Amino acid sequence: MPVRIWRTPLDIEKVKRPKAEIHIIKNQCKGCGFCIHFCPKEVLEESEEINERGVHPPRVVDESKCVLCSFCTSVCPDFAIFVVEKQCKDGC
Amino acid sequence: MAEKKESKAKESEEIRIGVYVCHCGLNIAGSVDCEEVAKFAETLPHVVLAKDNRYTCSDQGQELIKNDIKEHELNRVVVASCSPRLHEPTFRKACEEAGLNRYLFEMANIREQCSWVHLYDRKAATEKAKDLVKMAVAKAALLQPAEEIEVPIVRKALVIGGGVAGIQAALDLADTGYKVYLVEKEPSIGGRMAQIDKTFPTMDCSICILAPKMSDVGHHPNIELLTNSEVLDVKGYIGNFHVKVLKKPRYVTDDCTACGECVEVCPVIAPNEFDVGLAIRHAIYTPFAQAVPSAYIIDMDLCLNKEKIIVCDKCLKACERQAINFEMKPETRKLEVGTVIVATGADVFDPSSLPKYRYGKHPNVITSLEFERLINAGGPSGGHLIRPSDMQIPKRVAFIQCVGSRSEKSGRLYCSNVCCMNTIKDSLLIKEHWPETEIYVFYIDIRAYGKGFEDLYIRARKEGVKFIRGLPAEVVEDRKTCNLWLIGENTLQKELYKVNVDMAILSIGLEPRKDSEIIQRLLTLSRTQDGFFMEAHPKLRPVDAATGGIFFAGCAEGPKDIKDSVTQASAAAARAGILMAKGKVTVEAITPIFHAEKCKACGLCVKVCPYNAITLNEELKRIEIIDAACGGCGTCAAECPFDALTQNHFTDEQIFAQINAVTEHNAEKKIVAFCCNWCAYAGADFAGVSRMQYPPNVRIIRTMCSGRVSPKFIERAFARGAAMVLVAGCYPGDCHYINANEDTQKRVERFWKKMEQNGLNEERLQLLWVSAAEGERFASKIREMQGILEKVAPEEIETAKTVFEKALGGV
Repeated sequence: MPVRIWRTPLDIEKVKRPKAEIHIIKNQCKGCGFCIHFCPKEVLEESEEINERGVHPPRVVDESKCVLCSFCTSVCPDFAIFVVEKQCKDGC
Repeated sequence: MAEKKESKAKESEEIRIGVYVCHCGLNIAGSVDCEEVAKFAETLPHVVLAKDNRYTCSDQGQELIKNDIKEHELNRVVVASCSPRLHEPTFRKACEEAGLNRYLFEMANIREQCSWVHLYDRKAATEKAKDLVKMAVAKAALLQPAEEIEVPIVRKALVIGGGVAGIQAALDLADTGYKVYLVEKEPSIGGRMAQIDKTFPTMDCSICILAPKMSDVGHHPNIELLTNSEVLDVKGYIGNFHVKVLKKPRYVTDDCTACGECVEVCPVIAPNEFDVGLAIRHAIYTPFAQAVPSAYIIDMDLCLNKEKIIVCDKCLKACERQAINFEMKPETRKLEVGTVIVATGADVFDPSSLPKYRYGKHPNVITSLEFERLINAGGPSGGHLIRPSDMQIPKRVAFIQCVGSRSEKSGRLYCSNVCCMNTIKDSLLIKEHWPETEIYVFYIDIRAYGKGFEDLYIRARKEGVKFIRGLPAEVVEDRKTCNLWLIGENTLQKELYKVNVDMAILSIGLEPRKDSEIIQRLLTLSRTQDGFFMEAHPKLRPVDAATGGIFFAGCAEGPKDIKDSVTQASAAAARAGILMAKGKVTVEAITPIFHAEKCKACGLCVKVCPYNAITLNEELKRIEIIDAACGGCGTCAAECPFDALTQNHFTDEQIFAQINAVTEHNAEKKIVAFCCNWCAYAGADFAGVSRMQYPPNVRIIRTMCSGRVSPKFIERAFARGAAMVLVAGCYPGDCHYINANEDTQKRVERFWKKMEQNGLNEERLQLLWVSAAEGERFASKIREMQGILEKVAPEEIETAKTVFEKALGGV
């Protein structure tokens, strides 16, 4: 149905979307970039800092975009990234 | 057999032609001296008798022909009256009833293409009518009896589109006992009707009356429902269509119980198209609660999983029945059907193209479709009419009519048919829930034409809905309150108004589907200027397409309300049912005539045949023709360089005879026009129906397709001194014979080159693409050609005569 869709859906606030908390263990990262490449929501990017292993670990661009699919955890060969659901307190 | 023998015997007899000149009341006699035309006809070779009468198509008129055939031993009949597109079948039947083969009948179109387009020039119109009769008589003398072949009809139907029209058509056909394939592009059937809250004028709940029908479709043993599917390809002809349908994967199997557990866990959301973006849906979803099939579907554009990589398996884990399968592949289904019903529906007008109403800028300007979702109890606001800026219930509401309709400048020229009543219904719905609401309706005209419509209109006025004639010129928003000022002129009271409302609802019109072109091309259909599909005859065959075996239902053919869509759907089902009940159809005997002795097995005809009806037999060094597959365009006959092919009922000799008749006198003042039956000839007829006047010196020769027009016809016309030649056909892509008119273009272009090489003015040969709805385009082309004709010098005509002298050999 090609109708122009432009409004913010009225029930957008009602949908409970889990908020993510992304943890990156920087010094464990060997810089393969899998997490960045495979993230379906493009949440991560390569940072400029250099870790102990001499590579650029990933950095979170926009945590709110993360949908907690945890694919980054699955593909990380170095167990250097994991995501937990942010526990909500007042109003989030 | 006896009949065949008889017609064979008649062949050798002397040719005896009867000519009937019809007055058509004053339609013809008003501008043409019919008596004089009849007298003239009597002088033509082979004519035994010529009569004029008031209505030849009446029972008495037909009886007269039948009696004369017997009494005067007529073996050819010519009727000079209206367009053969209208009454050829009538007269053919009359001839048949008197024992004359139907192919021994010929018509001269002296109404649509003569009296109606030369209303004020009786002398010229009469002269033209004489010429047209002379052409018809010349062709009639060469007519041959022919037998029509029968083609079996597959007793299955394809319905394209699963809106209320498609649903009704599918159910009617399935209940009659035919197998039906219902193809729907969206994941669920239901169409626009499913989105609407209540229906006018009875205020029935739309989905409540539709859902049972949808469910019937889902369960009917004779209906195979193909949702999320698109028609990819259609080949074949009436009774035998080969259809390819692409069934896109749902990624959810039939095991789905629609429990909804998957939706709870799906992390991705997007606006739901069904709710016009006013509510959200997930990547795995069902468009609406009553969807059929009720199975869920995954929107792969949204899902996190791409290209075999399963990133997110939340729905997989949540689905107890393991109904989710990311491995599902698109599937191409091949269907064999006898008839097709096109019920592809309409789009809605996008008001953001009209800046004055500020849709998309001011949040409280909404469309009528958004309104339907807001007022619907199952909609995003739970049936509370709220305005988007602050989610409050508006106290003053305005409806603006004709948004995108009835204006060439802003939208479409036609009336969208449903918006007036829809607004009246909507205003009553508001009054029902919130009686204190002030409602203004700004309109141009209120069209409450249907059964029960006026009552509803009166009710709305009694309830206090204020109808103000004159659309707002401007919608201005109050920045603080987001209220709207509507400013315009009340054209009844001739005073300016400035009305303050909380919300404005744009009554948006209906538009042809943006992808109509695909269906048009696949099924070789025509469209009117409005862009909706064109019926075979606006009055007498309103649901048939011009292409055999195809029918229309619902808004695909023009904007209409639910009742009319359902009526038309049942009509289309009945029409398709007639064909399938008969089980066979006769194909017009306009197939090629093959002279094997002249064939050099060059294979040119094989290449141009749009239906692959000609094959080359390499061993026997000759071609073979499959008559049943032949569409009857005649492009093979035009292509054959050795005269080994010609077309039944449109033979070279017959067309030559017509050209000779046109060019016998005053050729240097005449335009010889070759018009294809479907678009150009119909367009010329339409010019007549609309009484568009154009110069009277054009003589139209009808062929089934412009592809039949062989260069030798053009050569002969010029060789006999014709001033101008017009070749007219359907637009490229609109050809009723798939693409035969592409050959027309090539041949004309080649001819232009030839003219150039011989120092002839190329302007004397014109090529026109015209649709059946473009009468004015045809008329203005003739006017334009008249201008060119006046500048053609006698010497030029003489040069052309010598250049093409060879074309006069033979006949």
